[in-house]
Amino acid sequence: MVQINFARKEINCKIVYYGPGLSGKTTSLEVVHQRTPQGHKGELTSISTDGDRTLFFDFMPLDLGTIAGMKVKFHLYTVPGQVYYNSTRKLVLLGADGIIFVADSTPGRMDDNQQSMDNLRENLTEMGRDLNKIPLVIQYNKRDLPNPLPVAELEGKLNPNKVPTFETSARTGEGVFQALKAISALVLEDINSSDKKGAMGVAARKPAAAPAAGAPAAARPAAHNVPAAASRGGEGVMPQKEPGSVLRPSGRPAMAPAASAPATAVAARDPAPVAARPRAREPVAVAVAPSRPAAPVRQTMSQSRNALHQQVRQVQKQNARREEPADEAPAPAPVHPKSSGGGVKMAFFMILGILAGAAAAVAAVKFLFKF
Amino acid sequence: MTKDSDLRESRLVFYRNDLGKIDRVLQEFVRLSGSSSVLLVDKEGHMITRSGKMPSFDQDTISALVAGSFSATREMAHLLGEQEFSALYHQGERDNIQLSLIGDRTILTVIFDDSTTLGMVRLYVTETVRKLEDLFNDILKSQKDGTNPDIEELSDMSESAKDTLDALFDGN
Repeated sequence: MVQINFARKEINCKIVYYGPGLSGKTTSLEVVHQRTPQGHKGELTSISTDGDRTLFFDFMPLDLGTIAGMKVKFHLYTVPGQVYYNSTRKLVLLGADGIIFVADSTPGRMDDNQQSMDNLRENLTEMGRDLNKIPLVIQYNKRDLPNPLPVAELEGKLNPNKVPTFETSARTGEGVFQALKAISALVLEDINSSDKKGAMGVAARKPAAAPAAGAPAAARPAAHNVPAAASRGGEGVMPQKEPGSVLRPSGRPAMAPAASAPATAVAARDPAPVAARPRAREPVAVAVAPSRPAAPVRQTMSQSRNALHQQVRQVQKQNARREEPADEAPAPAPVHPKSSGGGVKMAFFMILGILAGAAAAVAAVKFLFKF
Repeated sequence: MTKDSDLRESRLVFYRNDLGKIDRVLQEFVRLSGSSSVLLVDKEGHMITRSGKMPSFDQDTISALVAGSFSATREMAHLLGEQEFSALYHQGERDNIQLSLIGDRTILTVIFDDSTTLGMVRLYVTETVRKLEDLFNDILKSQKDGTNPDIEELSDMSESAKDTLDALFDGN
């Protein structure tokens, strides 16, 4: 979904290239990347297989420039087209603000195109969205191939809503930018139309969206239905976008100082020191923490990192000192650690035993001296 | 636990005042945890704000990959019967990344090297996530109170976009 960031003066939108496998989605994005002027584009990142098939997505940030005082950035994604990657396809599709459907004009691929369009519709429906209400343009790609599928046939089966379509060749780059320009215009128009219907200030203060700066259809015979797109976008019906989302400034003062956290909480929250200790020592560590002096016990975010380091080391040393006799040196007397009363009794009986033994030994010696 | 579930299917708008508060929390986090930098990213992969050292990598790309990584991990969580894995950790030889979910729609991305420790980072991440959740909740609650002067800046985009789009796309 669109992110409007007034602090950075940015509007971020997500555009997704969708379509069947090998229809030219990644190639289209590569064309956009190659031909976009420096300063308007970021890196083209591909998460693909060794065979160069898209595994998760291709991604490219596109900086449209400053529009109405805001820096508009589009994030362009492609989905993996192969049928069995539907789970990852859905992830990429999530939150899309506009979709470019790349259909394959190769003879024999009509079914794949239809299947992909159906899949797009189903996936959006699963997300609670409606394909008819999302900015959409279609690229009829690979028009440079001999005997491509007739546009009328593609149009009839893929474009019941008469969204803007473009005859493209991603290989040569023909028409790719026109499609991107059209979807850009539709998405920007959609931002306005969504604002318009909202009760959340942004929309209420602004006039109705003007017709989009759509692709100049008359000048480009390969583009179809572009005027229809403008009127479609102008309807401003985007029920999936709730205006309640607009974040407003908090009436509260700035964040209060960090609440103090007792050292017991530190010991419990910080997994690293605990993990570094043997498991048998964990209960001892928790027990040691509260017994530390009051001042270092108050471990808060406002304290310095070094102080925390020192405190953690101190706790670890104390733990080590307390546990060393129990873990490493054998006890001088078999005193049960959980019962001091039992230990005293046992020591008492042992002393009695020793005394009795000594008395018996003395008696034995005396008896021997008699003879 | 604060959830900005009301925002789930809709756009995120951050006003300057709100971002100022968020930035202060992030700056404090960077100072205390010793992290190199921290990015706040939404689940669509758009960076909201950042703090700390200016990273050498492309921030848009890392934001998109963070969101993708989190999305993929969420699916894994679902397969295991978990609602979500709320934290992810990527360990490198030099730099490491700790990702933590804040509410439902934003991800705290912490980049740190061996000048601090994972335990230290996680300790302060826990605090920071809680603070930001509270902050988001406050922002959400206050949204019903009047309008923000920032919205004055958002004028009609369609008409003014025409020249920009023409300049960028025509001739290609």
